[in-house]
Amino acid sequence: MKVQRCLAGAAAASAGALLLLAAPAVAHHSNAPFYDSANRVEMQGTITKFVFMNPHAFLFIDALDAQGKTINWQIELGAPISLRRTGWTPDTMKAGTEVKVTGSRSRAEGTFGMCCARITRLDGSPITPGGRVQEESVPR
Amino acid sequence: MRATAAWAVGVVAAVGTLIAQAPATQAPAQAAPAAAASGGIPDLAGVWDGGGRARPVNGENVPWARGKNFPDLNERGLAYVKVFDEAVAPKYDCFPSTSPAIQYDPYMMEVVQWPDRVLFRYEKDDQLRTVLIDGRRPTVADYSIQGFSVGRYEDDALLVETTHFTFDITGFDDYNGVPSSHQKRVLERYWRDGADLRVTVTVEDPMFLRKPASYTTRWIAAPSGSKLAPFECDPESARASIKFLPPRYK
Repeated sequence: MKVQRCLAGAAAASAGALLLLAAPAVAHHSNAPFYDSANRVEMQGTITKFVFMNPHAFLFIDALDAQGKTINWQIELGAPISLRRTGWTPDTMKAGTEVKVTGSRSRAEGTFGMCCARITRLDGSPITPGGRVQEESVPR
Repeated sequence: MRATAAWAVGVVAAVGTLIAQAPATQAPAQAAPAAAASGGIPDLAGVWDGGGRARPVNGENVPWARGKNFPDLNERGLAYVKVFDEAVAPKYDCFPSTSPAIQYDPYMMEVVQWPDRVLFRYEKDDQLRTVLIDGRRPTVADYSIQGFSVGRYEDDALLVETTHFTFDITGFDDYNGVPSSHQKRVLERYWRDGADLRVTVTVEDPMFLRKPASYTTRWIAAPSGSKLAPFECDPESARASIKFLPPRYK
């Protein structure tokens, strides 16, 4: 299976301007055992928590499944020590923000995890003003 | 200490190299110090960037690539890899990276050169390696996670020998689950290549390897004013994705 490593990018054109497309810029571990790059999923929901700690930041999002049940997704992001250098802070992602997320689904049955994610507002625009939406992936 | 000037080549039975190519664009670099200070002592000091701008990011095939420089494992090593379960890898409990992985971790590194030692400070896992260049040798009391490092300058390069590592279940490569033993011996050669810092890392471990394995890589100068940031691994964050691994054993 082709293993993809997605890179985070950031717009820093002005103070507070941030790019919001997050993926593990530098990985604590390989994504392949955890996430299936061939199984891309999309969902929309509301941010409930943003954990900004090394080795990985995590974003938690409540979304409704097809049956209307609330599912709490866990989105794995890059290392905060690197994300900070692209403008991210613990306040970059705020609880209550509605977002659209597309990413690689976690492998373990019955889990709701994602990596290598594309995160935007519901209309596809960056989450913060002035940010760019950008995704890069480097095949390995 | 070794006396031969051909150490860097002669010790390696099978050498594979991995040299990163320069990316298309780079952030402004700190003023690169002169490549050689004086008397054959290279100027290695400074903050160095080992991230994606300098070299391909580590993974299952980086820096150890199958068919190229992947270690030739003996039966013991192959058996360990066969039964290895990613979920028990110590890094998920914030166990620090060690040689030969720590030299390739995609974060910043700082080198400080003192008269009797060279300090390597790694952003990843907040690690410090001290290379003693005053003739000291390790004793039986000097086993540690990072081992005991001694070195010398020769021909505009710093040569480092590290032994006295404790056993590490993923101590050779934590992407492929290759362990390392107390017999691990890591040889490093650091030199300046223009504005870059380069290293060849060679690993011997007869407990698991049939012959030495090696890679060569580089760091680029970090942007001016760069400082290492604290990593402060959070145990919960480290283990947060374990539940996404399909269980290997019941």
